[in-house]
Formats: sequence, structure tokens, C-alpha cells
Amino acid sequence: MIAERSTIVSENLTKCFGEFTAVDDVSFDVHPGEIFGFLGPNGSGKTTTIRMMLGLLTPTSGDVRVLDVPVLEQPEAIRGRVGYMSQRFSLYNDLTVFQNLRFYGTAYGLSNEGLKQRIDRALQMAGLEGRENVRTHELSGGWRQRLALGAAILHEPEVLFLDEPTAGVDPLSRREFWELLYQLVADGVTVFVTTHYMDEAEHCHRLALLQKGQIIATGSPDDLRDQGMHGQVLEIVSSDSARATKVLRAAKMEGRLPLESVELYGSLVHVIAEGVESLQDALALELMRSEIESGRMAVIEPSLEDVFIAYMRD
Amino acid sequence: MMAKWRKIWSLSLKEFIHLRSDWWLPVFMLFGGALELLLVGWATSRPITNLPLMILDHDRSAASRSFVVSLENTATFNLEEPVYDVAVIEDALRLGEINAAVIIPPDFSSELSSPAGRPIVAVLLNGAESIPATAALRAIEGVTREMGEQILVQRLGLQAEEFEGFIPSLRVWFNESLVEALYTIPAELGLMLEFTVLLFAALSFTRERELGTLENLLVMPFSTLDLVIGKSIPVIMVGFLDFILMLGITHWAFGVPMRGSLALLLVLALVYILVELSKGLMISVMAKTQHQAFLLVMMVGLSDFMFTGYAAPVESMPRVIQWVANFIPAHHFLEIVRGILLKGAGMEVLWPHVLALTILGLFIGGFSMRFVRRSLS
Repeated sequence: MIAERSTIVSENLTKCFGEFTAVDDVSFDVHPGEIFGFLGPNGSGKTTTIRMMLGLLTPTSGDVRVLDVPVLEQPEAIRGRVGYMSQRFSLYNDLTVFQNLRFYGTAYGLSNEGLKQRIDRALQMAGLEGRENVRTHELSGGWRQRLALGAAILHEPEVLFLDEPTAGVDPLSRREFWELLYQLVADGVTVFVTTHYMDEAEHCHRLALLQKGQIIATGSPDDLRDQGMHGQVLEIVSSDSARATKVLRAAKMEGRLPLESVELYGSLVHVIAEGVESLQDALALELMRSEIESGRMAVIEPSLEDVFIAYMRD
Repeated sequence: MMAKWRKIWSLSLKEFIHLRSDWWLPVFMLFGGALELLLVGWATSRPITNLPLMILDHDRSAASRSFVVSLENTATFNLEEPVYDVAVIEDALRLGEINAAVIIPPDFSSELSSPAGRPIVAVLLNGAESIPATAALRAIEGVTREMGEQILVQRLGLQAEEFEGFIPSLRVWFNESLVEALYTIPAELGLMLEFTVLLFAALSFTRERELGTLENLLVMPFSTLDLVIGKSIPVIMVGFLDFILMLGITHWAFGVPMRGSLALLLVLALVYILVELSKGLMISVMAKTQHQAFLLVMMVGLSDFMFTGYAAPVESMPRVIQWVANFIPAHHFLEIVRGILLKGAGMEVLWPHVLALTILGLFIGGFSMRFVRRSLS
């Protein structure tokens, strides 16, 4: 495969706040036209990394290049070429939809006819036509999110940075938001997105899994599944899943069953082990000894959550 | 170049839109100062009069009555009903119902008329309210001095017109009738201008930080200087408008004269606004929340307040404070305002203050720019 020039290159990026290392030796590259996701729990260093890539925060060590621009030396050289949606709502609540878009557009040097066209397009994309003069605080979460995206891409950036863009937005709006992102990628925009939603991470072309400031795995969702899972996932329906999880974990600890991990999934238990299918009877027996009835057992495709937990345990 | 200014103006325009929806802020800025000026102006533009005074007259003679009438004629006092018991006076003083009381002893008129007599009156003052107490004392002293002179003339056997006494020939410059308002109102003007500019400037970046929009602003293609200029334009415009409004009130509502050059005053007010703006912007990047910014403004404003000569003239303050006053922009601006308004002074007189204000401004402004630039990037 011919190596394409990467849109974002991060080399050994590290950020310490006093004794605390928020981002620890993080290296990755993002290819043109892909959606690259940073998946990790809160406090794993996602936002800190994004802020360093935008030149808002100076790294303790390491280097980052966006669109071939060394961000540390020339942060202003990427300003007009990237778009950014921060974690908190980035528009002004007391301005109307139109006033917000006009401010963004003018700030990026648009004027007159060009500005008008872009605003119309953004309104159309966000589905906010006819609501130009509504104050932004009157919009619901999903609409605001789409308006913020509209503002962030008004100047047609080459790279879009999204920091937990759909936090606190209902599932339907989230889906619509991702459809918009796919449209943008189809137009050639590269998207860097952080999230802690597993279902959202599934939408990314490639992912980096983050834990305590370190990247613990990188790859497409399928690659991660193949590489990270030692064994298959068995889903168990039982009369008391919480207790079943405890019982099976104890069996694992005491070495009575060769299990990789046992996790509670709502009302279900996920057991991961090499050749888990042949362990079904042993598992049922173990549960019966503790007077837990086990129902249907089935080997399932591992979810990204299974994968993530498997990586975190390693 | 055009595009750059259009960008900066878009930021200023946004600030004005914020002002419209946050209507209490411009109302405070334009009318808070003016209202304060009106209230303080009315309250201090009159001499102290009608202080409640109680008289306990044990003598009840023609002489004691004429003394009481003299007190009443000063207009400083408003006489309460005559009382016949010291306990009533003590209670009234304790309750704060009166500012002063005079007790005339039974031998007042006999001491007054006997050749070697020593007429005495007892004066009780409510020292908890020191300013009315001082005014009361001054009025009573005036009346007794006059009476003393009359006694002296009488006992020397002179005719009244033969005695001239010692009279200083008074001629007051700049504030002919010594109206206190002419001194305090310009101070109030400078102070309110400082608060307005400081507060508005201090909120500029703090508000964006608190709302979480500052990050986006920093990612946009604005340089730090663009941001500072864009945020400053509305502050300067509102501050200047505020100054003109308040200047109009001082002139037309309180008769503060305009003896010097209005143009010079306006130019120097603009310089002063820029100096206070620099301080405000520093507060703005230092404070994490609007609440903190507000408290910092109060702290800075209230300490500067000392040096405007509003509460007490700087010349009567301890040496150290007089020295410190040289480093307070508000102090120099107030000297300039009073100089131009009351004395009709021009640059030939005011230049030390103008120079000091300019040097302080350059210093504060330069430091502020470096500080803002460092904390925003």
C-alpha cells in the first residue's frame, strides 16, 4: 500500500500537570478522509490531547503536526484550516441562530455573498431553515449540537476536531449527527472525534483506546476485536446475574474454571474464555451449586465494550 | 487590512448584542453612575441644617432665651420641644433622636450680668455621628463667640461700633461659595467612570471563560491583539458615552462650571479610560468566574476611591499615602477634572498630572498587554 501523507501526526505527546501525567507518550496518525476516534473513560486524557493538537495547550514533550503544520511553532497557521467543537456548547446562547453563524463566518474572513451562501447551507444542513431569528438558548440539545457543527464547518475546514460532540444528546439526535459527519467525510473532511460511547466508537474508521493517558490499542473496530479478545464471549441468562458474576469470578480466581473474564451486562453475564462453548456445562454446574438457575447460553460477537474491557485488563 | 478590521468589528458587534440581552449591565453602566451622581450630588450639595437640638433651660431668663434664639437663627438646628429633665436628654441621645443638647444652668443670666461672672452652658453632642456633631459644635461655638464679644464690649464700657475685633478678610477662589458639591461631584464623576470601565472590561474575557466559549474564540483566526481590540472597542465607546452623560449632569443639574477647555477634558478622559481598560483586561484574564472578576473590581475600585479625594482631601492624608497617590491614575485624573472644571486650568498647569497619567498608562497598558497575551496563549 502506498503510504499517504497523514493529516495528523502525534509523536510521543506528553502533558504533565505537576505530578500528574494527563497524557503519557501518545503517538498516532490520522489518515486523510477518515473518522478517527479517541475512546476512553472520563479523565483518560482525551480533551487534553485535543487541546494540544489545536495549539491551546503546550505539551510537556513530544510533537504534533496537523496538515503538515508544526502546531507548537505555528498554531495560527492551522486556525483557518481546522474546525473545532468543544465539549461544552460552543455558541452564544443569547445570540440568535443567524447572529451566531454570522459571527463565526465573519471571524473566518467571509463576507457578503459568500457569507450568505455558507450560512444558508449551514442552516439547511442543521435543518434550521426558517428559525434563523430564534435565540440559541431556545433550541433543544440536538438542534444546538447540529448548529454548533454547522458553525464549526462554515469556513469549510479540512480537519474537524470534535470533543465529545454528542454528550447529553438523545440517541435519535446522535444518529442524525453521525449521518452529518459521514456526509462531511464523503466531501473529503478528516474528522477527529473523542467519545466514551461505545456505539459511537463503532462508527469510526479507526480508533485509539485510551486509558490513564496512554494509548492501549489502535486499529479499526474489527481489528481491535480480533486482536484484543483472548477467546469468545458467552452470554448467560440467569436468575440472579449480579450474584452469578461474583460466583464465577470466585471460580476463576480459585482456578476451578479457565476463564479470561466475567462481566455483568445489565441483566446478563458475559463470560470470556478460550473455547468457551465447551465450558457451558461446567458453568451451569458452578452456578447451580450456589443455587442460581442458568437459562439460555449463547456465544455472541464481542461488543466494543467487551473489547475495551479486555484491553483494560491486559 | 479591511478584512482584518471586519473580523475585529464582528467581535465588537457580538459584544454589543450581549449587552442588549444582558440589559442590566448597560443600564448599570450608563445610568448607575448617573444615578449615583444625582443622589450624592443632592445629598452633599446642601450645608448641614435642621439638626435636632434639645434645650434644657434652668435659667428661663431673657438672656437665656436670647441665647436660644441665636442658636435657632443659625439654621443649623431644629429645636425640639423644651425639656425640663436631664434624663429626657440622655434618653434622646442614647436613642439617636437628637444630635446635640444644650443645658443652661440656673445662674446663667446672673453670671452674665455680674462684672466678674463666668457664664457657662453645657453642650452634649452625639459623637457617634461625627460629621453632624462637628457641624453642631461649630455653630454653637460661633454663637458663644459672638456673645463673648458682646460681654467683653459691655464690660470694657465701649460702644459696639468702637470694637472691631480681629476679622480675616475672606476671598475664596474657584468655588466662591465653598459649596461642598463642587468638590465631591467631580470626584464622584471620576470614580463612577473608573467603576464602569473596570467592570465592563473585567467581564469581557471572564464571561467567555465561564460560558466555555473562550476556547473557540482562541481557536478562531484571531490574534491576541485582535481579541483585545475587538473586546475593547465597546468598552471605550460605552465608557466615553457614560462620561459625557455624567459630565452633562454635573454641569446642568449641579451647576459645576466648565471653565477650561472641554476638548482637552474629553481627550484626557479618553486617555484615562484606556488606562482603566488595561487594568480591567488584566482582571479579566486573571479571574476564573464573573463573580471573582466583580469582587476584584470592587477591591481595586474601592482602594482607588481613597485617592480621588472624595472622602478626604489627599493633601491632608499621611505622607506615605500622598506618595502612593502619585501611582494611582484616578488621583491624577481627578486633579485634571477639578483643574479644568473649577479652575479653568490648561496644559501649562496640568502637565505634571497629564504626564504622570500618560506614563502610568503606558506602563500599565504595556504590562497588561503582555499579561493578557501570556494568559490567553
